[in-house]
Amino acid sequence: MKLAVVDYLILAIYFGFVLGIGWRLKSKISTSGDFLTSGRSVPVWITSLAFLSANLGAQELVGMSGQGAKYGIMTAHFYWVGAVPAMIFVGLFMMPFYWASRARSVPEYLKLRFDEKTRALNALAFAVMTVFSSGISMYALGLLLNLILGWSFTTSVLCSAAIVLAYTFLGGLTSAIYNEVLQFFLIVMGFSPLAIMAVMKAGGWSGMAARLSKMTLPGGLNGDVMTHSWKYIGHTYQNPMGIEIFGLVAGLGFVMSFGYWCTNFLVIQRAMAANSASAARRTPVIAALPKMLLPFIIIVPGIAALALSQMALGYVLPMKGVAGAMTPDYDQVLTTLMAKFYPAGMLGIGLTGLMASFMSGMAGNVTAFNTVFTYDIYQAYIRPGKADRHYLTVARVTTVVGVALSIACAYVAQGYNSLMDLLQLVFSFVNAPLFGTFLLGMFWKRSTGHGAFWGLLSGTVSAGLAHGCTMAEGKGGWIMTLHTFPSTMAQNFWISIVAFTACTLVTILVSLATKPKPEAELTGLVYGFTELKHDEGVAWYKRPVPLAIAIGALALFLNFWFA
Amino acid sequence: MLDLRVPTGFFFAIVGLILLAMGVFAPSERAALTDSNVNLYCGLFMLAFGLIMLGLSRLSKHEDS
Repeated sequence: MKLAVVDYLILAIYFGFVLGIGWRLKSKISTSGDFLTSGRSVPVWITSLAFLSANLGAQELVGMSGQGAKYGIMTAHFYWVGAVPAMIFVGLFMMPFYWASRARSVPEYLKLRFDEKTRALNALAFAVMTVFSSGISMYALGLLLNLILGWSFTTSVLCSAAIVLAYTFLGGLTSAIYNEVLQFFLIVMGFSPLAIMAVMKAGGWSGMAARLSKMTLPGGLNGDVMTHSWKYIGHTYQNPMGIEIFGLVAGLGFVMSFGYWCTNFLVIQRAMAANSASAARRTPVIAALPKMLLPFIIIVPGIAALALSQMALGYVLPMKGVAGAMTPDYDQVLTTLMAKFYPAGMLGIGLTGLMASFMSGMAGNVTAFNTVFTYDIYQAYIRPGKADRHYLTVARVTTVVGVALSIACAYVAQGYNSLMDLLQLVFSFVNAPLFGTFLLGMFWKRSTGHGAFWGLLSGTVSAGLAHGCTMAEGKGGWIMTLHTFPSTMAQNFWISIVAFTACTLVTILVSLATKPKPEAELTGLVYGFTELKHDEGVAWYKRPVPLAIAIGALALFLNFWFA
Repeated sequence: MLDLRVPTGFFFAIVGLILLAMGVFAPSERAALTDSNVNLYCGLFMLAFGLIMLGLSRLSKHEDS
């Protein structure tokens, strides 16, 4: 792909604005709260888009469009079954406790509700996880820019890290949130024309469906599966994902997505920055609306790419591997489509959107890391009881250290690819049991600190054991092979079911055997001991519950329409 | 607090103008698989979006004062 001067100009203007926003916000920062939690002052439309956008990293953009070409509209299950119900749930049922507890972070909530050791376990796991995630994000960016533009890995990584560092260092969480919103608009405006043009070229949705149903997929299945999300979900051999309905609904729809959206501080932090309790509740709910529409600009172009490759237009799916053993390189589907549909100018917008999403993925991790480190590790264990000024300095230094560690991780990822695969897998197990802990913590007053700690630990360990005892696509089975899954996706779904169940059972058993927290200490932390404000007399679209019902109904409709 | 609609509005107005100019002065810039003047239409849309953002921010400023 060759960029013209105008494309570089657009990229430069974007970077200028990103840094400018950070610069303008610099003067608003005087306490550690301003820097790390935005002083709980951000309007709800901004927190909602940031809530969505912090999760919309470029791995998702690139990966989901690739999965569109590989698995078809079933990929939308990650949105319509996974994310949307979980986002509505966290908004309606969990944000009230996060907000009422006045906790500044998810680990801090765990400390207030349970005890110090549960917090330490979660804070450490989370800190390590964010650094690696942002490193992996950086690595992916370096790889992509190297591949499509020929930029060197080191230049890409260092430049993007420098920009992220500059704006998070200057404006803290507010700056990261503002830039996430800008990035969201850029992605929507940069990629929806691509989706529209690719689908139109492929004959519209019905034309695509007709064309795909005449083809045979690489796995030997009929292409009709690409345009139906529920029709082929009865058995694992019917669909290219290798999943069936229970694993999908329980594993992805319940444990994995609820685990991610309800307990991952990276996204919760955005909702906590909202300017009122009602705004904090509405943040994830409102974010669910654009979230459920994203498949149309991310996944559908991937499906269109597969249809286009059948049309003798000169478009072929990108391939990788050595001659004779070539496989489709799904990660390049999005960029090859851009090259075919965008002229110089619009190409710059698309590329800027892609880079913006990489950087906001990084920034999200860095801002979550510095908050958890400053409040839950440094202030809790290293130097408690200092003046706020001191913690602001620590937060700033932590931001620099976080970025430096991420760069180091990017290079580790470059050198030891399989190690990164493993780490990513491990992180996907951190959130699954955590959801069990939160569910019990918020809704069962009897659950105790010892219960939570041992439940969390045994949930994570059992996830590891489940991975060690099952095989899928050559992965796992490092202890023995008791069961073989048709795909790693099915394996992940089932491992998270195991982890969640183990955590919940152990937490319940240990809790029943240990002394409960006195009820007076549960105010604002547990259901039944927290005053839930009902905002009567406010327009329906400003109240969380009616909003949630409307958005939930739309998600249900999409599931039926594309079934 | 900085009103985010202002930088967002300016960014998309500027970028929209650039694309619009490309669409008008270099209409022959076409990608392989499409005949439409992508820059022109996208530029117009972004310019409009940017101006709406700026307009909204001015409107709310009037209401506050």
